[in-house]
Amino acid sequence: MLGFAATSRHHGKRTPNVQLASRTYQADDFPAVQELYHSNGWTDGLPIVPPTRDAVEACLEWAMTPPDQLLGIEPVRAQAVTAEKLAINAVMAGCLPMHFPVVLTAFAAMLQPDFLLHGATASTGGCAIFVVLNGPIRHELGASGGFNALGNSDRATAVIGRALRLALINILEVRPGGIDRSTLGHPGKFTYCVAEDQDDSTWLSLAEQRGMPKEVSAVTVMAAGAPRQLMNEWTTEPEEILETFAAEMRANLRHYSLHAGNYALIIPRQLRDHIQAAGWSKTDIAAFIHERARIPRREWADVGKGAVVRDRGDSIYPALGSADDLLVVAAGGPAGGFGAVIPPWLGPKSKAVTMAIGACVDCEPPKG
Amino acid sequence: MAFQVLDPTNESAPPLGQLAPRPGSLRGKTVGFISNGKEGTKGYFAHLDRMLRQEFGVANVVSRVKSNYSAPADGYIVGEIVNWDAIVTGIGD
Repeated sequence: MLGFAATSRHHGKRTPNVQLASRTYQADDFPAVQELYHSNGWTDGLPIVPPTRDAVEACLEWAMTPPDQLLGIEPVRAQAVTAEKLAINAVMAGCLPMHFPVVLTAFAAMLQPDFLLHGATASTGGCAIFVVLNGPIRHELGASGGFNALGNSDRATAVIGRALRLALINILEVRPGGIDRSTLGHPGKFTYCVAEDQDDSTWLSLAEQRGMPKEVSAVTVMAAGAPRQLMNEWTTEPEEILETFAAEMRANLRHYSLHAGNYALIIPRQLRDHIQAAGWSKTDIAAFIHERARIPRREWADVGKGAVVRDRGDSIYPALGSADDLLVVAAGGPAGGFGAVIPPWLGPKSKAVTMAIGACVDCEPPKG
Repeated sequence: MAFQVLDPTNESAPPLGQLAPRPGSLRGKTVGFISNGKEGTKGYFAHLDRMLRQEFGVANVVSRVKSNYSAPADGYIVGEIVNWDAIVTGIGD
């Protein structure tokens, strides 16, 4: 596993030997910078922060990462991704240096083979990269996971998610109509990052559920469709609340894809309080959802897809291959009986990946 | 205020593979198909199979389907390519 420096290890010193290799351009003023980047297809359509040498070096220095550090190679098109190029795109997205270790780690996670980055970013299915932040770094960055958690909740999640999209556009050429063949896409392709509200929850964090120590900051990336919002304010029973989530997943199985994969449930405070008061853990939730979120293939005939039911109408299709495939995330404002289901891009082809920030949790200890 | 700004793109192009020599004719040759496995590929490759045999005299057509249509071809398929004179790969969304 790759490890990147945590923000708390920043020394505030300039490293004298940073040698950037990228080509430079001169622009007369701020509007000229915008036109340069827009006209070259280097943006997401929104204005960008000029990626000056100083700003990019500051990101690299904060993460104590040399510019030529190789994050990985996208295997389908043999494209290398270096820290320097990632830092340029992070600055463009509005990242401060303290945000950059998260961007580095998230992109390294996306380059893990299980994530299947090319497929997830090229597919007509039009998914986005959903990112969940866990651990102490949420506080350092001011990422709350409270009000408007899946929207414009805070600066950190906004710019981190945007940095990943700009990096895909510019480093891997994931432009609409180019590598990106999305039929529709969704608004999460501008930015799609949430911090888990760990402080207002008795549950283990998502990262802990996925094997990270409590003290470690981590990011989880998932190739994901748009959030499907639901509401149930009329019960305090966990089974009834979670049945609404399961029903939304069944709807996704009917209307979108029968294939099992990672799903994320976003459970805000009001519904979370009921579930926690009844003593349910995330593991209990996942076991319940795994059992309830499944449909027989014949239900495809109810939604206009009878042509592909064939002789397999009685076959049962679960939304989750196993209960461990469910990502339960505590996030959202304190009031309102709402929740959200975030569905996978397409079944098991891309798997969610969790990676530590600034720590190497599965490295071997030094020898000797 | 003037700015000196940096190129955000991957300026180093990925290594390009070299094209194999083109066969002068397909007559008597072996042609391999690599399908991404989507529904639309079945009719396409079935038609192409007939056309290559009947109109171009192809001796053998070897059809292979990737196990994951969003990932590179499986290693065992790539290993077979050396035995083919020509290859057709396609997607069928």
